[in-house]
Amino acid sequence: MTIAGKRSFSQCTLRISGVVYGQDTTERLAGATITIKGSTHAVITDSAGHFVMDSLCTGLYEFSTSSIGFVSTKIEIQLLYDTSISLQLSKDASQLTAVEVTAEKKQDISTNAKSELKGIQLFQTTGETLSGSLQSIPGLNAIQTGPTISKPVIHGLHSNRILILNNGVRQEGQQWGTEHAPEIDPFIANRVTIIKGAASVRYGSDAISGVILVEPSVLAPTNALGGELNLVAGTNGQMGAASGLLQGTIKNLGGINWRVQGSLKKAGNFKTPYYYLGNTGFQEADFSLTANYNNKKGNFGIDAYYSEYHNKLGIFAGSHVGNVADLDSAFARPKPITPSYFTYDINRTYQVVTHDLLKLNGYYIFKNSGRLEVQFSNQKNKRDEYDIDIPYSTDPDVLNMPQISFQIQTQELDLVYHLPVRNNFSGLVGITGYTQGNVFRGIRYLVPNFRNYNGGAFWIERYSKNKLTLEAGLRFDYRWLRVYQINNTSLETYHTTSTYQNPSGTVGASYRVNNKLSFSANIGSAFRAPSVNELYINGIHLSAASYEKGDSTLKSERSYDFTVSGRYEVERFFAELVVYDNIIDNFIYAKPALTPITLISGTYPLFNYTQANAAIKGFDAEINFKITMKLTYDGKASIVRGWNKSIDDWLIFMPADRYINTLRYDFGKWGLTTNWYVNVGLLTVLKQTRTPPNSDYVPPPPGYNLINANTGFQFPIRKTTANIELACTNLANTVYRDYLNRYRYYADDLGRDIVLRFKLNF
Amino acid sequence: MKITSKSFLFISFLIVGLNGCNKDEKTVSPPVPGNEFLTSVRVTATNTTDPTDVQVAIITDTTFIANPPNSINHDTLNLKANSVYTATVEFLDETKNPPGQVTDDIYARRNYHLICFDISSGLNLTVARTDLDTNNPPLQIGLQDRITTGAVSKGTLNVQLRHQPNAKNGDCAPGSTDADVTYTINIY
Repeated sequence: MTIAGKRSFSQCTLRISGVVYGQDTTERLAGATITIKGSTHAVITDSAGHFVMDSLCTGLYEFSTSSIGFVSTKIEIQLLYDTSISLQLSKDASQLTAVEVTAEKKQDISTNAKSELKGIQLFQTTGETLSGSLQSIPGLNAIQTGPTISKPVIHGLHSNRILILNNGVRQEGQQWGTEHAPEIDPFIANRVTIIKGAASVRYGSDAISGVILVEPSVLAPTNALGGELNLVAGTNGQMGAASGLLQGTIKNLGGINWRVQGSLKKAGNFKTPYYYLGNTGFQEADFSLTANYNNKKGNFGIDAYYSEYHNKLGIFAGSHVGNVADLDSAFARPKPITPSYFTYDINRTYQVVTHDLLKLNGYYIFKNSGRLEVQFSNQKNKRDEYDIDIPYSTDPDVLNMPQISFQIQTQELDLVYHLPVRNNFSGLVGITGYTQGNVFRGIRYLVPNFRNYNGGAFWIERYSKNKLTLEAGLRFDYRWLRVYQINNTSLETYHTTSTYQNPSGTVGASYRVNNKLSFSANIGSAFRAPSVNELYINGIHLSAASYEKGDSTLKSERSYDFTVSGRYEVERFFAELVVYDNIIDNFIYAKPALTPITLISGTYPLFNYTQANAAIKGFDAEINFKITMKLTYDGKASIVRGWNKSIDDWLIFMPADRYINTLRYDFGKWGLTTNWYVNVGLLTVLKQTRTPPNSDYVPPPPGYNLINANTGFQFPIRKTTANIELACTNLANTVYRDYLNRYRYYADDLGRDIVLRFKLNF
Repeated sequence: MKITSKSFLFISFLIVGLNGCNKDEKTVSPPVPGNEFLTSVRVTATNTTDPTDVQVAIITDTTFIANPPNSINHDTLNLKANSVYTATVEFLDETKNPPGQVTDDIYARRNYHLICFDISSGLNLTVARTDLDTNNPPLQIGLQDRITTGAVSKGTLNVQLRHQPNAKNGDCAPGSTDADVTYTINIY
């Protein structure tokens, strides 16, 4: 095996950093030595157990760690990106050292505010939806349709206004719908990164208020078959989830690394504190396959990834309303009129959603250390929605049809060149193109068929010297959209074509005052072409009991986002503040019309899609303070204000003020178990008092407080460690309704849930 | 050499992938044949003592009808005072010619449906449902009714088709509304 350490380090810029722990993560080892085999690189950990090694090249390295009184350990790491490692040494040679390696793929725009979820924090969210797992991050919320449909909200915006990158690919489905949750298995993620702020320059349209990057761990060569097993069981909904992963390297094929991963999830009817929510179960089955190859020199690699997502989920029976009179009477009732009970059965109304993704990518590093990346992806998203009633028909084929069926297929090709680092300058240029075809079939008309072609080109340049980083970027995008519709009388198909052109840009700076204090500022712009529902929807939005009409003359939305963040970190204290002002011109929203519309099934308020100028400002704050070595306080606040400047009023459905206060106690080692912790947290959500008049059927619900608690530890199984956690949400079984949960019209939110999580790496 | 063959494989993947995108979206599927739209609600009242006294009122939602005739709605029912009428409530699909009978589908799923009547105050009228479904015990449906009039008066009669899958219990409250129309009633 060739070790990359023999290469010249002069042109290389990768960094490896980490922490070395003793037998427990409360014990940090100072003075431990880290060396690279075949090189003179060596560092010693500081008083907090930290170390940093700079100027490394891509390639395979063997690191040795030694500390007096502990067993020396060797690990091999394939360096492709900046990498952080956490090492837990042992005193006993029979016990394996616990190693956690995370590749820190450097964000292409580094001055944006961002948050990460990985390691133990990610483990503490297993079994939840993707959006549910992000709720502990300041500035994030979820817009929900009951217990199983949840969409992430970044700084007050969601759906088409944030972008989700699933393993590097723009997730494309019917993401315009608030009841269309992201079709991603959270178990694939080794890390979830949230970019807060407008980031169209790098990622293209729709990154109006942020980007969520869901990333699996880097697949690197291993000597032995390895894997991971996750098991989760929850009392509410009698939810169970299992996810497994196996990976290895086929040596005699030149070193092809492979990974197979799969997850199964199932839940029945969920329960509020005092009653069941009928038909709220779900069943999910997902898998993914990965294979990659990196040449020995470390300057060329290819990667293939395929994943499938299959989900069937029930829609709460009590949420079906015919018209506004139904909705008013549902809201007036203290609980749903038809009592329910526990069952795993899913009846109508339900959704069946599948998502297939194929990704192929490759990179080549030139002699000048410039890096070229090519990526192709093909994704197919199919969504069938079955209404509560079978269609009025005697034709058996029609009876089994979903009322609504969408299929959208997206092909994308990206070419990115990372310029070599010269005189403190680095940068990247790229071109990207994608095309989508959308086919709608259904009994109820909702949105038309369409085809679009999109092309974009961008250039981002960065200057870093000492404590200062400056960056700037420019991008231009073009979209061609053709919509196909049918004339119901003549049955002839006709089409309408529109084009959208959008420049976008970013400038930013960050300044590291010293090791403790740093600041960042970024001005980003982003755009979003109107989605096809905003242009052409014409019909009843069933679960909202509203009649919506699109406007085919809508223009692109454009945002200018100003974000400033500061971070202060010393050994026992950490604070971070992110302040933002996102100015959005031509913000598209459904405006209530003064006259309702009367159909045979009743009277509906009419909403017309229109545009206004809006501004969303707010801040996210976090403080973490170690009161003693074992007791830690953590406080988080998320404050958002959305304002419609055109009509001088609040924006609807903005998250209410939200605070999380947590106390954590670290017991440390106890018998065979290590890293014992107990968290007790209080989630406080205030009442949303800033809403526009005549745009909602019922007033926002009162604020609420929820007590959440969890405890967990690690323990050795043979030569490896297992993680176990017992968590309880809504410990006090508090009755509450959340403003951003659309079921608040019909029922209370979830009652107590006790969850047991188990994870084993082998 | 190894790399070249891999690149070739990679490029062929791309070509296959891009060619794979068919143009399904150009075929817009027409409204599903066999599916019926509920566009109209018709009430027919026949005087029990005078079979020639047949009164009809109909309300139509013209949203789905391409060229609705002008006088499609007759929303007034003229009934004799102190009389008994047998009444039927019918649900029609007038996007078709002749109109489709949605009533048959509703009757086929009578265990999931209930017709509810709401009479404005001051109108001297009662409505009693006379048909039963096959629930155990049987519950009323309301497609067949008996209307009893009192003294001369004017007012409105609201007719709702309640859709109550797995929730029907004889009350109007469960479920959701499939049709909601209001007729003018003139008792003379």
